[in-house]
Amino acid sequence: MRSTGFLQRFIARPEFGPLVLLLVEIVVFTAFSGTFLSAGNISNLLAFTPELGMIALGMTMLMTSGEFDLSVGSTFGFAPIVMWTLYNSGVASLEVGFVAAMLLAVVIGFSNGWLVTRLKIPSFLVTLGMLLVVRGTALYITAGFPQGTWSAESPLMDLIVGDFTIFGFRIYASLIWFIVFAVILTYVLTKSKAGNWILAAGGNPQSAQARGVRVNRTKIVLFIMAAVMAAYAGVTSSIRVSAANPNSGTGYELEVIAMVVIGGTALTGGRGTIIGTVLGVLILRTMRNGIVMVGVPGLAYNIFIGAIILGMMALHSWLERRHHAGT
Amino acid sequence: MTMAEELVRMEKINKFFGRVQALEDVSLSIRKNEIVGLLGDNGAGKSTLIKILSGALTAERGDIYINGRKVDIRNTTDAIAHGIETIYQDSALVTQLSIARNIFLGREPVKGPPLLGRMDQDAMNTAAAALLKRVGITKNIPPTTPISALSGGERQAVAIARAMHFESDLIILDEPTNNLGVDETRGVLRFVRQARDTGHSCIFIAHNIHHVFQVVDRIVVLRRGKKVADDIDPKQTTIEDVEWIITGMTAEDIHA
Repeated sequence: MRSTGFLQRFIARPEFGPLVLLLVEIVVFTAFSGTFLSAGNISNLLAFTPELGMIALGMTMLMTSGEFDLSVGSTFGFAPIVMWTLYNSGVASLEVGFVAAMLLAVVIGFSNGWLVTRLKIPSFLVTLGMLLVVRGTALYITAGFPQGTWSAESPLMDLIVGDFTIFGFRIYASLIWFIVFAVILTYVLTKSKAGNWILAAGGNPQSAQARGVRVNRTKIVLFIMAAVMAAYAGVTSSIRVSAANPNSGTGYELEVIAMVVIGGTALTGGRGTIIGTVLGVLILRTMRNGIVMVGVPGLAYNIFIGAIILGMMALHSWLERRHHAGT
Repeated sequence: MTMAEELVRMEKINKFFGRVQALEDVSLSIRKNEIVGLLGDNGAGKSTLIKILSGALTAERGDIYINGRKVDIRNTTDAIAHGIETIYQDSALVTQLSIARNIFLGREPVKGPPLLGRMDQDAMNTAAAALLKRVGITKNIPPTTPISALSGGERQAVAIARAMHFESDLIILDEPTNNLGVDETRGVLRFVRQARDTGHSCIFIAHNIHHVFQVVDRIVVLRRGKKVADDIDPKQTTIEDVEWIITGMTAEDIHA
């Protein structure tokens, strides 16, 4: 057992399956489309990926603790609406608007966490309700109209999602932030005391509580983080596409949860991997991009996504059973 | 018995579940270096009493003293802080986490700047490996093994290792020998004796009276929420006598 080689340990890791799938995708799409690996297409692919990816990072941490958040898509749409409405109406500077949007995200996350942990309502119901409340608020304050963003100039915008060209690739600052967040959260989940608490809260909340782990507080903090990450991603997106649409982010919650579980994080908690989530994000984004590139009708996209989710779930459950067989 | 020898004293504990009185004026004291067997039929109130001491439940009335000082135990964290460690029948481990991570859960050693909260995983693994040897796991199980890969006895041993490491003054074992094999049971009983010899007190709850008789210094019996015997010496009483007390005859009847 202990003399297993590096290769064997590598294959036994939960991230191995997603990694293989991503490589297969890249090989197949490259074979069928000459422009898939072009600088233009890769730049395109990497423009939107970090935005969904940031939501997925927050969701991974939350799901590892045994909860999930359906309101992230609404928060993604709501936060930039707050920021730009404050700015456009002359109430606040862009920076102040940004801080206000983030603070509201904290309130949304705290409300989710408080309702789930204190009132013991399942996170499915709490965050479904919050999804409607937050989306409804975004629609109400804008009367359904998009907010303009083109009049703004601020170093904050460059810091969040400024772009530059390197070796022919157009890279947004959001990609760097995504990588930074992923590295920090990998550290938190695997190396830190907080990570042990998050895993324990998802694995066996009663015994974690009995050991002195503050399970409720841990979960509330993670609900706040999920909301803040979604809000930050929404602000990033609004600056990049120069529009804040009250409807943007609709349906993201399910796509993000799909990305997270494809990567190997358990929907029921106790097991989570940031690297897996990054792979899961890339798998679904590459699939969406590649399918169009190789000429499959875009409307068929969901067939492939669904098949990937089912296939990966089957693989994870098979690996799980094989891992525990006979022990 | 003087106050100084006394480690824990629970005084006139009353607990209700709705209109049902689970405990009625139950008092219990545990001396230092003493193993007390807590016996009683199903529903007698053993687990309720223990849960109040370990912070999982709170009593409606009654006081708890530790080393002569009145304490307020509102949750399990309070109990652990007061040196009371509880080992439940299901071990209460997080099956997805490794042995080392379970042993140190809630009290992880950290190194480096405090803000980063970096767990000292090397120290945890080294300490866990040494502890596993101490509780009699002779198989070479790496401390990074997840609990889900362990047998019932091995899991119980991990829970015991945890109590030993943190030098708890009082270790409560709630049905620790349930679902265990012969060897594993022997290991648990050996640990209980060892714990007393190294200065711990224990409360031992088990359905199997034979196991209780093998290790305890004193037996306390609860029946229907009341204490019916407090000072049974297992060396001077037969198992049969104790069974009578548990099921309905009073201690006075036995001695009469």
